[in-house]
Amino acid sequence: MDKVSISIPASPEYLQVVRLIAAGLASRLGFTIDEIEDLKIAVDELCAYLTGTQGRDGDLNITFGVEGSGLSITGTATLAPGQKVRTELTEFSQMILSTVVDEARLDQANGVPGFTLSKMKSE
Amino acid sequence: MTERTDLERAEIREIFQKYKAATTEEEQLAAREQLVAQFLGLVEFLARRFRNRGEPLEDLVQVGTIGLLKAIDRFDLEREVEFSTYATPTIVGELKRHFRDKGWAVRVPRRLQELHLELTKVVSSLGQELGRSPTPAELAKQTGLTEEQVLEGLEIAQAYNFASLDAPIDTEDGATTSFADQLGSEDESLENLEYRASLAPEMEKLPERERRILYLRFYKGLTQSEIAERLEISQMHVSRLLNRTLIQLREALETES
Repeated sequence: MDKVSISIPASPEYLQVVRLIAAGLASRLGFTIDEIEDLKIAVDELCAYLTGTQGRDGDLNITFGVEGSGLSITGTATLAPGQKVRTELTEFSQMILSTVVDEARLDQANGVPGFTLSKMKSE
Repeated sequence: MTERTDLERAEIREIFQKYKAATTEEEQLAAREQLVAQFLGLVEFLARRFRNRGEPLEDLVQVGTIGLLKAIDRFDLEREVEFSTYATPTIVGELKRHFRDKGWAVRVPRRLQELHLELTKVVSSLGQELGRSPTPAELAKQTGLTEEQVLEGLEIAQAYNFASLDAPIDTEDGATTSFADQLGSEDESLENLEYRASLAPEMEKLPERERRILYLRFYKGLTQSEIAERLEISQMHVSRLLNRTLIQLREALETES
């Protein structure tokens, strides 16, 4: 699996860069426009948990895993102390994510908030 | 203008009750005016946060007041939340939208407008030809653009507000129709869906078309291209509306929790 990583400030305005990388890698794998748009929705949805809608004090580290069959994306947030991050997906998020990607979840490895998502190429 | 006073929470609730229960227009307007006077300070406070962006403060207060009116209209007394807490995101949202709409309309470089228009057309024509959504590589080949340009063009569609997107739609026979005309009755079992329960207040605030796109995408599982075809708008327009709606809902949910 090839890996691509990026670190951005935990602020929504930088998510465009993450979306563009996701789209670029998905495009290399032959994803269609519909699939790429879905992927971007998932990226936004999950990253929003880490950045909040107004941005937070800290950084987001995003790693893209590229395989022939699809793309996986993991993100972790290194935030200044005292910032609360939701650790469970809302019902609405679950519904959105289950429609647009194959796998999506939030996690809290060693107390660090993060997410994982994956999307396979359709045949 | 009505003189501003600081009322107690209970008094404010009382005015809201009057506003909601009003049977005549005068009664309602009078109550609304009281509420506006009460919260104009909040609007001014929030508008001031945007004042270094080259717009006169009075204009911003006006824009913010529109947000306040919307919030007054939508506020539900059943909620255990202070009105000011409830109204703040609506007012800020209105101010942000103002800059978004205005700023973008001015600053879209011609190159990007053309890129966008061309992509919009080709996504649709190539999609029909292939019977599925095209890939960026296919779009690049068809348009002579690079794959990077195609991807940039798709992403840029989110960031800019193209007036052409919101223009009336031309149907095949050349007649112009509005979205309202196209909202069939087939899917309107919307009424008793579980999402109404979990998201009801936020959903109610969405325009019909946005609500319908959400429904078709996440409940019916239609792809963006399929929704575009059904609503007779471009896939890129669907994408833009969907993203905008999700951002709005996210903001609303965040303020609630």
